[in-house]
Amino acid sequence: MNGTQLQRAGLAIAAFAALAGGFFGLIGRGPLEMLQAIVMAAAGSRYAVGESLLRATPILLCALATLVPARLGLVSVGAEGQLYFGALVGTGALLLAPAPSLQLPVVLLGGLVGGAVWALLPALLRVVADVNETISTLMLNYVASLLVTWLVYGPWKSPQSQGWPASIEFPDSARLPLLGDSRVHAGLLVALVMGIVLHLLFTRSRWGLVLDVLRSNPRLAPLAGLSIARQVLLTMAIGGALAGLAGIAETASVQGRLQAAFANGAGLSGFLVAWLAGSRVLPAMALALLVGGLLAAGDGLQMMTSVPSSAVLVVQGLMFVALLGAGGWRSEVARG
Amino acid sequence: MADTSLLQGLPASALRSAAPLLLVLLGECLTQRVGRINLGVEGQMLVGAVAGYGVTALSGEPWLGMAAGAAAAALLSAVYALLTVAARADQFASGLAVWMLGLGASAYAGSGLVGLRIEGFAVGAAGLTPTLWLAVALVPLVALWLYGTRTGLAWRAVGESPGAARAAGITPWRVIVAGIAAGGLLSGLGGAALSIDHTRSWAEGMTAGRGLTAVGLVIVARWNPWLTLPAALLFGLAEALSLRLQAGGSAVPAHLLHTLPYIASLAVFAVTCARLEGGGGPAALRAVFAR
Repeated sequence: MNGTQLQRAGLAIAAFAALAGGFFGLIGRGPLEMLQAIVMAAAGSRYAVGESLLRATPILLCALATLVPARLGLVSVGAEGQLYFGALVGTGALLLAPAPSLQLPVVLLGGLVGGAVWALLPALLRVVADVNETISTLMLNYVASLLVTWLVYGPWKSPQSQGWPASIEFPDSARLPLLGDSRVHAGLLVALVMGIVLHLLFTRSRWGLVLDVLRSNPRLAPLAGLSIARQVLLTMAIGGALAGLAGIAETASVQGRLQAAFANGAGLSGFLVAWLAGSRVLPAMALALLVGGLLAAGDGLQMMTSVPSSAVLVVQGLMFVALLGAGGWRSEVARG
Repeated sequence: MADTSLLQGLPASALRSAAPLLLVLLGECLTQRVGRINLGVEGQMLVGAVAGYGVTALSGEPWLGMAAGAAAAALLSAVYALLTVAARADQFASGLAVWMLGLGASAYAGSGLVGLRIEGFAVGAAGLTPTLWLAVALVPLVALWLYGTRTGLAWRAVGESPGAARAAGITPWRVIVAGIAAGGLLSGLGGAALSIDHTRSWAEGMTAGRGLTAVGLVIVARWNPWLTLPAALLFGLAEALSLRLQAGGSAVPAHLLHTLPYIASLAVFAVTCARLEGGGGPAALRAVFAR
């Protein structure tokens, strides 16, 4: 970090403290007391840290899902829809009920494929008909979410769920292993490993260079014998698969069954994390942890101080506003 | 299922569904005309819906509620203006941050309003209400203003080329802030029309993507205020039809039918993109998408 970056980080923290403090004052709570409560609820105990990591996992995966196409200069806002469709296909794979030993790989594969398919739709529209991917991914988010709602209210509704719209419970054989005695599942490790692999690919490999070239000067592509179309499909599919993994991991290992509207804006947070990180993997990891902690604090706060969790959504929004306003978090990589 | 019952009164229900969206569309049209694309309209609509509903419930005066909704959303759009104009932050990211802020703030403020009943507007012939007339009347007003006045010309000039506009003696940032604020006011009116008039209730996240759909439909309407009317009607028709089919005991389940407005909007968007190859929009806006 050089001097200007440090200055901007300081500015962002000061702006955030002022905005959040002002908000807590407005709703009649002591600002310092609330900020302290948030830190305690996010990182004050082993359990709190576990919950923070748990909330950070889908956000990190969705940030990676945004970031991979962004390396090519694409603005995909579709992680949320890909997450839903991954969960949908993964759950479908479980319902086809293979032998227990095959369940976990088949369910995970379903999540990856589902997410990739949902990302390939806007990618194909972009390649074939020059349809702007930002708008198409936004609209497809709602379609995917409604498809999940339809299935859990209708054909996939479990008879054991006593009227609550949800699929059957995932058996233990279809769940990712847990880390230690926490609720954190192996999806976090997968996300971290994938992040590091992507970081190395972006910074060290020929593919990373190809993406950099195509982003900064698409007209060079034919001269260099590169196909933009192929890279659009590839980056969108990789991103989609990662978001799909977030969806199926959340469904199988955290909630234990497919439910309507389970994403809680993870795709949205992931997009902002990726964008603020300037499409760089390592800052995205740090920011995802921060946002995960804030969201986990929201749940804790509701129990401890009876402040509704929507207040934490406001705080999260204020944090993004402060970060964006202070600037300097976007690198030259952000967009050509 | 008899087709006559399916189609009876369909135009009126389509209009009712379209009215809130039309207001938002007009606002986002103006914002995009000055070269900004504001995904925060979704949050602005929510804030407009909750403020409008709350004030109507307290005062019993739906027009006061509409004004409160417009004011609250305009206030939130000021955050977007600060981020993108003063701090030069990315437009998409700023819009999403504003959306999140609006989602949280409206949920927080509206927790006491769930299940509350209001009187709302008097219903006229064919179930049509004043918010529809307001929305429809604003279409020619906005269009004539944008195409027929000097200030309208200045707005279009800023959207085409801020540099050239500056050379002509216009201060681009003022026009851009005004365009964002106009979008804020109208998205708030749209949100308030939704909660006060269309659903007559408040629920968390009740706009369900209408604001984002509006962002896409502005492009379908080729940034032309006149064409926002058919674009909004397309969404309204798809929504009214899905509700109809559901009430008529269609074999297709309700949640599946609810995807219809999004799929229809996306289909039209894809077709217009393919035919016009992304041309026709304000040049300063194209630069946001260009890569």
